[in-house]
Amino acid sequence: MRRKTLTDRVALFGHSAIEAVAILGRSTLFLLHSLFGRSSTGGGFQLLVKQLYSVGVMSLAIVVVSGMFIGMVLALQGFSILTKYGSEQAVGQMVALTLLRELGPVVTALLFAGRAGSALTAEIGNMKSTEQLSSLEMIGVDPLKYIVAPRLWAGFISLPVLALIFSVVGIWGGSWVAVDWLGVYSGSFWANMQNSVTFNTDVLNGVIKSLVFAFVVTWIAVFQGYDCEPTSEGISRATTKTVVYASLAVLGLDFILTALMFGDF
Amino acid sequence: MSADNAYAVELKGVSFKRGSRSIFNNVDIRIPKGKVTGIMGPSGCGKTTLLRLMGAQLRPSAGEVWVNGQNLPKLSRSDLFDARKHMGVLFQSGALFTDLDVFENVAFPLRVHTELPEEMIRDIVLMKLQAVGLRGAVELMPDELSGGMNRRVALARAIAMDPQLLMYDEPFVGQDPIAMGVLVRLIRLLNDALGITSVVVSHDLAETASIADYIYVVGDGQVLGQGTPAELMSSDNPRIRQFMQGDPDGPVPFHFPASALDADFLGKR
Repeated sequence: MRRKTLTDRVALFGHSAIEAVAILGRSTLFLLHSLFGRSSTGGGFQLLVKQLYSVGVMSLAIVVVSGMFIGMVLALQGFSILTKYGSEQAVGQMVALTLLRELGPVVTALLFAGRAGSALTAEIGNMKSTEQLSSLEMIGVDPLKYIVAPRLWAGFISLPVLALIFSVVGIWGGSWVAVDWLGVYSGSFWANMQNSVTFNTDVLNGVIKSLVFAFVVTWIAVFQGYDCEPTSEGISRATTKTVVYASLAVLGLDFILTALMFGDF
Repeated sequence: MSADNAYAVELKGVSFKRGSRSIFNNVDIRIPKGKVTGIMGPSGCGKTTLLRLMGAQLRPSAGEVWVNGQNLPKLSRSDLFDARKHMGVLFQSGALFTDLDVFENVAFPLRVHTELPEEMIRDIVLMKLQAVGLRGAVELMPDELSGGMNRRVALARAIAMDPQLLMYDEPFVGQDPIAMGVLVRLIRLLNDALGITSVVVSHDLAETASIADYIYVVGDGQVLGQGTPAELMSSDNPRIRQFMQGDPDGPVPFHFPASALDADFLGKR
């Protein structure tokens, strides 16, 4: 095999850069058409409700179970650290702030990418490979409006709600471990939490984060499905890409959002 | 404007490229109204691509695609979807919606494009299913259908809106002789009974020739020949003759280009 020269490497880099820009352009047009294009077919609300069920309600179990365990682990870890400083009464505050500001939005988005995001990609990819999308087009129905748009909106709506549920269940799990098991006084557990958690700084910022994550994760998931190569291997690759890209995007954006919201600069 | 009202579809000087590879180069095809027109050619010659150009699922790199008096590549996205309401396509896989049963699959175009009452939708769906012989399968799901039944349900869905143009993408592939016979008969019957224009893309010679009024043979990115089935059978063109008679070797070689035999077997490099 011929060794790559410097020129070859530069050309390869340029080719990859052009490809990346093309994908970005395609995905932006795809998003704009899906959200703001004219729809000639009715039934949008019914389609949305169906997707809210499959994307949101069906993700409830994993979110609730994960939220509870993460809240419980946070309380355990918090208790063992705070006890050293005689501040175990602050464990409620620690659990609530960690969940509302960080873990609620981030872990829910990661779980959402793995559970609902991969399912969206695989479903749309499979519809493409079995010519169902082509079939819709030839029936005169725009698949961007009929298939993609309800899934996008369902993701935008579901994820912030799931993140809130995650945080609430996590706080409940934390209180169960801290108060009922480790013996932290329940009055201080809840009072410290109430005193330290503010709606604007903590709850609202958490919701804003999960809205941003919802937008990015759902966009990546539906685009990967729509743009995939219509073969078994192509769908498998697209599903993997959804989970990897969405997870990295969530973690990267979380840093940026945290810096903007809590950075004090 | 379209040149001639006698044609349902007109491809004028159409070229199409995938990347730098040319699939069609300056192709002219005219599909007469009310007839069954076959588009034939060897596998991989771009027949399905041609069908997708006619449905404007692909845009030509050059040329015009007129369907029912409209130059499809020039239409806006929403006008294009409106224009497609007058077309039906039977895809190679059937492409039924897997989450809907047979009834809902056939009712789908009616539900999204009309505001007909439920009773009327029911009657139309049952009539279309009766036409393809599957009224009894109304409650089955797509995964409970055989390949032939799947395609017949897809055909019922394709004619649900009474289209002016019906396009078939390799309708006979993978069908047993009975299912194939049923489909052949149905294509001709529907064309004549509904007064529509049919385009059958296929490489199944005997079946297509038995129902087509006119055939285009495509290959090498061009129209190699055209005429009635009888005219093509007696063609002097060696490419057409090879295809129509199914000769394994001829202008289209049996062997994929390779190095000389002795280089591979006797090690003479």
